[in-house]
Amino acid sequence: MARLVGIFELPAQVAAAVKQLRGRGYTDIETYAPAPFPEVDDAVHPKPSKVRLLTLIGGLTGVVTGYAMTIWMSNNWQIMLGGKPFASIPPYTIIAFELTILFGGVLTVLGLFIFGGLPKFKIDPAYSARFSAEDFGVVVRCREQDVAEIDALLREHDATEVNLVES
Amino acid sequence: MPEIDRRNFLKLVGVSAGAAAASGCSDPVQKLIPYVVQPEVITPGIAVIYASTCQECPAGCGLHVRTREGRPIKLEGNPDHPVNRGALCARGQASIGRTYLPDRYPGPLKRQADGGWAPISWEDAYALVAKKIAAVGDRTHVLGGSVGPTLSGLIDQWVAAVGAGGRTVYEPFDYTALKEASRSVFGIASRPRFDLSQADFVMDFGSDFLESWTSPVEHGRQFAAARRVDQEAGGARLVYVGPRLTLTAGNSDEWLPAKPGTEGVLALGIARAALDAARDSGAEVPDADQLRGILSGFGENAVSTITEVPAATIRRLGKAMLAARQPVALPPGVALTSRRATATTAAVLILNAVVGAIGKSVFVVPDGSATDQVASYREVAQLVQRMKAGSVSLLLIHDTNPVYSMPGDSGFAEALEKVDFVISTASGPDETSERADLILPDHTPMESWGDHAPRPGVRSLIQPTIRPLHDSRAFGDTLIESARAMGDATAAQLPSGSFRTILEQAWSDTDFRAALAAGGVFGKEAASGAVTLAPGISSLSFTEPRFEGDGSFVLLPVPSPLLSDGRGANLPWLQETPDPVMKVTWQSWAEISHTAAEALGAEYGDVLAVRTSVGVVELPVVPRGGIRDDVIAIAIGQGHDVGFYASRVEDGKLGGTRGVNVISILPALTDESGGRAWLTARAAVRATGAHRRVAKTQEFDNKRGRQLGEAVSLAALAAGDEAAEASNAAAAYSEEQAGAHADEHGGAHGDGQGGSHEIRKPYDPTHDSTDESPYRWGMTIDLDRCNGCSACIVACSIENNVPTVGEELVLLDRQMQWLRIERYIGDGFQELVTGRNAPTDHEVLGNTDVRHSPMLCQQCGAAPCEPVCPVFATYHNPEGLNGMIYNRCIGTRYCSNNCPYKVRRYNWFDYAIENVHEPMHLLLNPDVTVRGQGVMEKCTFCIQRIEGGRQIAKDGNRPIADGEVTPACAQTCPTQAITFGNLKDDASAAVKQADAGGARAYHALHMLNTRPSITYLAKVRRGTEGTEG
Amino acid sequence: MTPPTQPVAGMIRPVPMPPDSQTNRDLLAVMKGTSAGYWFLLGLSLFFMHLAGGIWIWQVYKGLGIAGYAHPIFWGVYIVTFVFWVGIAHAGTLISAILFLFRAKWRNAINRGAEAMTVFAVLTAAQFLGIHVGRIWKSYFILPYPNQRGLWVNFKSPLLWDTFAISTYATISILFLFVGLIPDIAIARDRATGWKKVLYTVLALGWVGSSSQWKAHNRSVLHLSGLATPLVLSVHSVVSWDFAMALVPGWHTTIFAPYFVAGAIFSGFAMVLTLMIPVRRIFGLEAYITDYHFENMARFILLTSTICGYAYMSEYFISWYSGVEAEQTAFWLRAFGPYWISTWVMIIFNTVLPQLLWFKKLRVNVPFLFVLSVLINIGMWFERYVIIITALSREYNPAVWGEFIPSWPEMGILAGSFGFFCTFFLIFLKLFPVVAIAEMKEIAIHEKAHGAQGTH
Repeated sequence: MARLVGIFELPAQVAAAVKQLRGRGYTDIETYAPAPFPEVDDAVHPKPSKVRLLTLIGGLTGVVTGYAMTIWMSNNWQIMLGGKPFASIPPYTIIAFELTILFGGVLTVLGLFIFGGLPKFKIDPAYSARFSAEDFGVVVRCREQDVAEIDALLREHDATEVNLVES
Repeated sequence: MPEIDRRNFLKLVGVSAGAAAASGCSDPVQKLIPYVVQPEVITPGIAVIYASTCQECPAGCGLHVRTREGRPIKLEGNPDHPVNRGALCARGQASIGRTYLPDRYPGPLKRQADGGWAPISWEDAYALVAKKIAAVGDRTHVLGGSVGPTLSGLIDQWVAAVGAGGRTVYEPFDYTALKEASRSVFGIASRPRFDLSQADFVMDFGSDFLESWTSPVEHGRQFAAARRVDQEAGGARLVYVGPRLTLTAGNSDEWLPAKPGTEGVLALGIARAALDAARDSGAEVPDADQLRGILSGFGENAVSTITEVPAATIRRLGKAMLAARQPVALPPGVALTSRRATATTAAVLILNAVVGAIGKSVFVVPDGSATDQVASYREVAQLVQRMKAGSVSLLLIHDTNPVYSMPGDSGFAEALEKVDFVISTASGPDETSERADLILPDHTPMESWGDHAPRPGVRSLIQPTIRPLHDSRAFGDTLIESARAMGDATAAQLPSGSFRTILEQAWSDTDFRAALAAGGVFGKEAASGAVTLAPGISSLSFTEPRFEGDGSFVLLPVPSPLLSDGRGANLPWLQETPDPVMKVTWQSWAEISHTAAEALGAEYGDVLAVRTSVGVVELPVVPRGGIRDDVIAIAIGQGHDVGFYASRVEDGKLGGTRGVNVISILPALTDESGGRAWLTARAAVRATGAHRRVAKTQEFDNKRGRQLGEAVSLAALAAGDEAAEASNAAAAYSEEQAGAHADEHGGAHGDGQGGSHEIRKPYDPTHDSTDESPYRWGMTIDLDRCNGCSACIVACSIENNVPTVGEELVLLDRQMQWLRIERYIGDGFQELVTGRNAPTDHEVLGNTDVRHSPMLCQQCGAAPCEPVCPVFATYHNPEGLNGMIYNRCIGTRYCSNNCPYKVRRYNWFDYAIENVHEPMHLLLNPDVTVRGQGVMEKCTFCIQRIEGGRQIAKDGNRPIADGEVTPACAQTCPTQAITFGNLKDDASAAVKQADAGGARAYHALHMLNTRPSITYLAKVRRGTEGTEG
Repeated sequence: MTPPTQPVAGMIRPVPMPPDSQTNRDLLAVMKGTSAGYWFLLGLSLFFMHLAGGIWIWQVYKGLGIAGYAHPIFWGVYIVTFVFWVGIAHAGTLISAILFLFRAKWRNAINRGAEAMTVFAVLTAAQFLGIHVGRIWKSYFILPYPNQRGLWVNFKSPLLWDTFAISTYATISILFLFVGLIPDIAIARDRATGWKKVLYTVLALGWVGSSSQWKAHNRSVLHLSGLATPLVLSVHSVVSWDFAMALVPGWHTTIFAPYFVAGAIFSGFAMVLTLMIPVRRIFGLEAYITDYHFENMARFILLTSTICGYAYMSEYFISWYSGVEAEQTAFWLRAFGPYWISTWVMIIFNTVLPQLLWFKKLRVNVPFLFVLSVLINIGMWFERYVIIITALSREYNPAVWGEFIPSWPEMGILAGSFGFFCTFFLIFLKLFPVVAIAEMKEIAIHEKAHGAQGTH
């Protein structure tokens, strides 16, 4: 197997190239971008990110914890205060709310780590500092015999250059 | 050492709790050492109570000394004692501290050549005294305060035995004028006794009987009884004559700011008016003709011009007093004893005679009380002369501090220099003992034996309640021992044995042990025989007094209700308790009227120089409305430069002068009969341009129509509850809208009866699922009975280990007292003062609408402080108390911000360690936690007493009975203004009193619906005839 | 797998690595080199920070009494400063989250700086909760941890709401800042050497900007913004309830929550200006932070200032309209009482001066904006001072009306809080890009793309 990396300047070109490659059945594709461009990301991963699922779970856990903790604790040892009910919902809503946000936020970031594959300390040799400048990269893994075709295809989409990297 | 089981351990914790807590975290490990042999009377953890007698003033109130493990920790009145009936004044409460003062003399001391002190053994000291006396013989003299009969007798025997020159009994506040006036009016040389309890019309010519005159506790109780609003005509009326709005004046119904010194003339004017009224109505007045002769020159117009009191008023008062069922007129007190004091007092006695008070509320009987031995000032002055002349070589001074309390130009200090050898028996340093050559320290009253005879038929005992803390000896024993040191011949002339045995012999006519237990023998009051006017009466001349020196002001030296003649100055609680009228602590201040202040260009806190013919003092001014323009008033008692608390720390060491001593600028003058005169000086006053911050704890006396310190006029009250409430409520709200000045009809717009009941419930039961408690502790405070004497403040502080913080911290409003007395003038919607530290007062000359409102934790049912505490440090206990868990408090101070009554106090520093100086910590109440740095604290109705009561009730397997538990404040109140009890028990005194209050009942800041457990009963504004509000 | 045994003929045409992009060079330049001025500022900040530390230790040893508290004013400069910093902390999240949701692109230039400011401000604020309590060594009592007493905490207390709100807010804003930073740290990593290389490699977590990473990143930022938006509104509401829940006249008002939030955003924006104007000047970022950005900020300040003004007015109106004498008195004395200076400073600096921003000339006049922003910060500190001190000093019980004078120790700690804040902000400037590089590129590349289409 071989890996080709094509260097692009514009997200639109990347997106087009990726679409065509996928159309031709090359599915083992990764792109590197200096900034987020939905068109590029969607071209590679059409499905929406699963981060939202974790956010939901976090939020729900938060609200449940918030109410459960406060209500249980106030009834675990009932102490009279200012003639108020032992467990009063309105103030506890504030606690529940804060915990919703807290848990939701933490799990969201956890989601970023899981689905963004972070942290990862073995960096793909195909990655280069130019992708953290302003160039885009499309990395395709393929059989040797397809190299020529992909090379041509990438150039046809205005790749400024195409390199062969060790896989 | 026996092994300690849990129960014993817990008991023993109590033993050293005080010490452990006082020394706190900074100290090494505290050891708990059990009694190996336990004294039979002492059970650790249980208080032992001894009966004794208060020695702070000649009134001689009975004491119950509460001791724990051999330490007196609290004084309470002896309920059986006829003088005080269980109550005590602030001074009595604080006097327990004398024993524990940090600066007491460790033992006998001898002056060295270099002026320093060196310890000396008692034997050597006695030998030295003997030698000296032998040398000087009859040039020996004894100068001392008034003491109990037994000790007094012993002193006289001693004087005779050692052949001393004589003895002088010196009291700064003598009552010579009263004695002499009685002599010249009735021919009986003794102090008449005044009983207000049955009176219905009290005419006070400046005696200030509620604060400083003769027996304040007794008179306070009697007056409160006479004034009960549920009596016919709504209780007794009080008319006050005097240049200044004193505490007594503030409790009066009518205030006549007559020209100072003319009280006697006014009395005669009123007597004359009464006499005329009697003639018109045909009423019978004994000796009418003789009286008419005396009073001929005192027509109402003449009197009016002299006294500056309207003629109509004089006529009205004369009528009123004659019409009264049992009127009484009281003579001038110390502040108004002018150089015509005897005549003035005689005039008052004549008025009493005219209106028929003699034998009803004024009793003239030959009086055996100690004060009869008190020398007139003239005699004291003669002693000073002899000292100056060098004819006194050895002076033995006991129980008095003349260097401080003798007038500035009496030259006592210089005279003392002339005396070769001065012996002082002071137990702690004072201005006089510091000038002595030999100190033979006496026990403090808590350590001594003794007795006291306040008046015929009343003998009470003093017994020691703690082993002497220092190497001191009873004065009596010192006398006996020194006599023995002079040889058997001398000793033989004195009784054998110790002073205690002498005391027992003196009481041999009674069952001594029974008397000890009871606190004394309280027989019937001696009845007063019929008295007739004496011929000497005609020799009296009732002219105006002359004043010494020039200057636009008359200098009015006011005996402080707290510091008295200065003897209270070394007791920190008395220093820190705000003056009941001016609310100033730890300092001296001068009172002048706003008008006078403007004329001088002096504002609040500016330092005035007050110059008399004798000297000058500089002190900050507190302008007020309640004083005549031509008078400057300065309280007696401050100005000490000796004493741990009495003096100030100046550049790092004690010995600075705290405040000023007004006595030092008073001329040494007497009245006609030789009694000491105080109202004698004119003062020239100027502003020095300097400014000093005044440690005043209340700077605003305008309650702005808020539900605090309410009052209701008798008229509105008589018109029926609804009417009263309606009118009050209407008045209040309309005023709130208009922001207008309140009219006379502000008042109890609490929620009246029904509301009070609803609110007196512990807390809303629907919200309460844990409370099966039969108790809801609460209070009823009757503002009509509270006269503002401030005894409760000191009682609370000592009971609850509340530290004093000192002048500097009071200036930052950091005082710690859990209980304060708020003083409001009228309902008030006066303009707001917008400056910094600019107190306002709305006193008006002649206006007596002063409300004293004790403010302590209200133990609210819906307490705002509770829900805001993040850690449950303050919470609601099942008995409705607002509990405070000191150890849980992290000090967010949110609770205090949310407390509308502002009754919470915070430990900004580690007061328990820094402000409790050894051996003061021995006074700490082991039942009460000592609070550390950074925690909030507050009143909990003396919960330690409630728990104590619960234990006893538990042993009896019964609920706590009503009246079984009494918080310190309610216990000591002379007028029983505070009633504590269980609000769930409709038969409890507190509930009954609240119900009886009717429309007067209200809750502080009721609009906030905090459901307080304290029900206040509004003060009643009675007014006198013609001045009904 | 192994590389091809023989090269595929004529396919490898390597070109030399192109020079780094303009954006990277400009923005990374900020992090390089440190001038004498920088060290001076840092030294100054460190000095005040340690001064405050010393004072605080003395206070713990001696007791809170060294501060100016006077019964009944039991909250003083510490709480005032706490609220002040919490307020500052609001602009960052607002800019990053709310403007992000509104797709207001102009935020990109300033959001990084604002987020950093938020984090440091909220950390500063949090310290004051500790400085203010009387027994810091027991303050852990406030956490609901299981203990042998079986005693929990009082969730009804606004102070507990505070604890939760502030800690949540701190956590979320730190996450927000960090998530935003990851791509930029990666940029720095690719260009750094030495210890910085190591640091960035660790912090970048191996970010390469692959599509999956960007996809997750986009989604996380979106959700974090969604969560932070209600949070930022809630936090200062909760802080305001510390006061509004109490029955103190002058505190007990329903308007407090929106009033405080508006005030917070107001002061936050002012602080962003105070910080970013010098930063832009010193590091020559005019190309990225343009007057256009500042003008938008100015517009926001004008809006929020007007809201504050409205709140002030309605407070006074309601106190009069309520007919409650205590309220009327409190507010009358607030304006004409012992603290009238503070009150008028607050009114003039916060509501009068900002009205000048109606003039576009002034909105784009950077020196003017800088001065104004500083004045607003002062005014907002005094706003909290007025609310807390005047209300407490004139409460229901005239007998114990008191007066408060700040003491030197607490003013020292106030100064120290600025020291602490500036120290961390200055260090941040040198360690991390103060402008979001990736987001700048996003814009740059978009523009390039449009240009490209134009040429095609």
